Amino acid sequence: MDEEPERAKRWEGGYERTWEILKEDESGSLKATVEEILFQAKRKRVFESHGQVRLGMMRHLYVVIDTSRTMEDQDLKPNRLTSTLKLVEYFVEEYFDQNPISQVGIITTKNKRAEKLTDLAGNPKKHIDALKKAKDSTCGGEPSLYNSLSLAMQTLKHMPGHSSREVLIIFSSLTTCDPANIYELVKTLKALKIRVSVIGLSAEVRVCTVLTRETGGSYHVILDESHFRELLMFHVKPPPATSSSECSLIRMGFPQHTIASLSDQDAKPSFSQAHLDSTGGGPGLSMGGYFCPQCQAKYTELPVECKVCGLTLVSAPHLARSFHHLFPLEAFQESPLLLHHRERFCEACQGELKDKSVFTCLSCCSVFCVECDLFIHDTLHCCPSCIHSRSAP
Amino acid sequence: MVMASEDEVSLLVIVVDVNPIWWGQQANREPQFTLSKCLDAVMVMGNSHLVMTRTNKLAIIASHCQESHFLYPCKLWKSGDGHGDDNASTSGDGKYELLSVANDFIAEEIKNLMSRTEVKGNQTDTLLAGSLAKALCYIHRVAKELEAGQEIKSRILVVKAAEDCALQYMNFMNVIFAAQKQSILIDACVLDSDSGLLQQACDITGGLYLKIPQKIALAQYLLWVFLPDSDQRSQLVLPPPVHVDYRAACFCHRNLIEIGYVCSVCLSIFCNFSPICTTCETAFKIPLPQVVKSKKKKLKPST
Repeated sequence: MDEEPERAKRWEGGYERTWEILKEDESGSLKATVEEILFQAKRKRVFESHGQVRLGMMRHLYVVIDTSRTMEDQDLKPNRLTSTLKLVEYFVEEYFDQNPISQVGIITTKNKRAEKLTDLAGNPKKHIDALKKAKDSTCGGEPSLYNSLSLAMQTLKHMPGHSSREVLIIFSSLTTCDPANIYELVKTLKALKIRVSVIGLSAEVRVCTVLTRETGGSYHVILDESHFRELLMFHVKPPPATSSSECSLIRMGFPQHTIASLSDQDAKPSFSQAHLDSTGGGPGLSMGGYFCPQCQAKYTELPVECKVCGLTLVSAPHLARSFHHLFPLEAFQESPLLLHHRERFCEACQGELKDKSVFTCLSCCSVFCVECDLFIHDTLHCCPSCIHSRSAP
Repeated sequence: MVMASEDEVSLLVIVVDVNPIWWGQQANREPQFTLSKCLDAVMVMGNSHLVMTRTNKLAIIASHCQESHFLYPCKLWKSGDGHGDDNASTSGDGKYELLSVANDFIAEEIKNLMSRTEVKGNQTDTLLAGSLAKALCYIHRVAKELEAGQEIKSRILVVKAAEDCALQYMNFMNVIFAAQKQSILIDACVLDSDSGLLQQACDITGGLYLKIPQKIALAQYLLWVFLPDSDQRSQLVLPPPVHVDYRAACFCHRNLIEIGYVCSVCLSIFCNFSPICTTCETAFKIPLPQVVKSKKKKLKPST
């Protein structure tokens, strides 16, 4: 048996005296404590800036959803399956927002088998439609970790070396039914550099601990629905690239969007490649679209991999979306409000500074309020005062 | 026409480019259209927006070379408070007091801004990304301060005079994606030269882009094209969308390319294959042709 890091279990520690956090002030009101708790909740997000670590920007991720009997449990409302599917939909949207040139596939496992819900694709719509339809499916039987991992592995092992290969398992059952030795599979996964992470919904399961430790992923068990959402969002950011991933130049095409109108003489209506494959949908003929620069096949949306010639087609804004991961904004310095007598207003939103502390940008020394600080770091990714100077990066 | 209910707040933020060098040159070129005429047109637009519905809100930001300054509303006014002190002139012609106070305040602020800023250098390009970022933070704050049950729809209108600054590409794109995530439209009214960045902004967020043929008719264009909000725009015939060039520019020559090579580490784009990335200095693995092992002929066992 290999050595495991010693970790104290929760029941081995002493008692937590949670009532000691609440302190009353002179008039007996808890207002100050409540405000403090709310303030800390806003600041809970840990700004881990990776600094000069190389990130895996092109990601191929499989999400394995356990649809076994335990998913009908009603501890997450209305039941675990519906809640999980809703959160995975939100996850897929955020994932493509932050990693536009990456791909996602979904696998479900029940009745000791695993099957692919959607293939690896770069378009969020297909996945979201499939997830919405899966809400009606029944849960039953036991999940199979071995089958779902080998199914994911079959596709991931053919992916190019410069992309990061990941699997995220949402595991609710406490058992798994495997046809062969799963520890052998773990060794194979490690050799193929596939990183497996697990989010447990019931309790910690030892085989998941070993699996994630060996492959370099993370394992967490949820406390409640908001914690579940936080853990899922943790996987949206690109992970640090492993030392063995290769760096290469990827050939990509940047097609122009032609909007042809009926009055153009040369415009001819044509089918897009997506419509030729899909069975449903409206009329497939359209005038404009994106034409692959290498083989002139037509597509309606980007990013996509050309089915005819294999060229990856993206547009420049897709690559620009990932730039903020490469040049992350530094965290602002927190300081108490009492030290700042001169400034009464936040530089960005012009609101009065009423919170306990204010945040100062280290390069331009402008002062911001709590809300603007969160907004700037989560959504905007650039300091409004710094970018007003001419020396831009 | 759908009547807007009391619960819908429509916020319009107008960002005006007041680069003094461009406006100074403009005053020499066309003396009948100066900065004050432009601001008159913007004030007409702002007043019209406030008058459309009682719950509409307005903000105006002036984008100067070294700072962006809020011309309206004033941060010293608290919500619900009387506007300023008693010296605020009530206009003699019976105009709605909110509008007259707003107009006077805007005129006062722009005069202070132009006189107090010392202009260094002679760049004629504008730093719009900073003003747009401040507008987004302001919209974010107003959305948080709404009363329960109220919904807000916001849009930003940019009145652009001078040229684009190429250094701002990355910051501009960050601002555009943030606006798209918050469902904020960015409209652009361009006075002089076409701006690729604003064309992309309008395309990505779903706003309108228009380059005005005649600058002195600015007020007309603002009222006819940019005043209706997004719900009403579907019922109007508006200028057709501009063709946006989304091709990437290569980092080595700044040419627009259709097929390029992208570094998997730093996402820089090159037009030709090179063994080392110039931005992040990683050495690439060059895909060599596979070496085919010669098959050893099996010796047949001699019978």
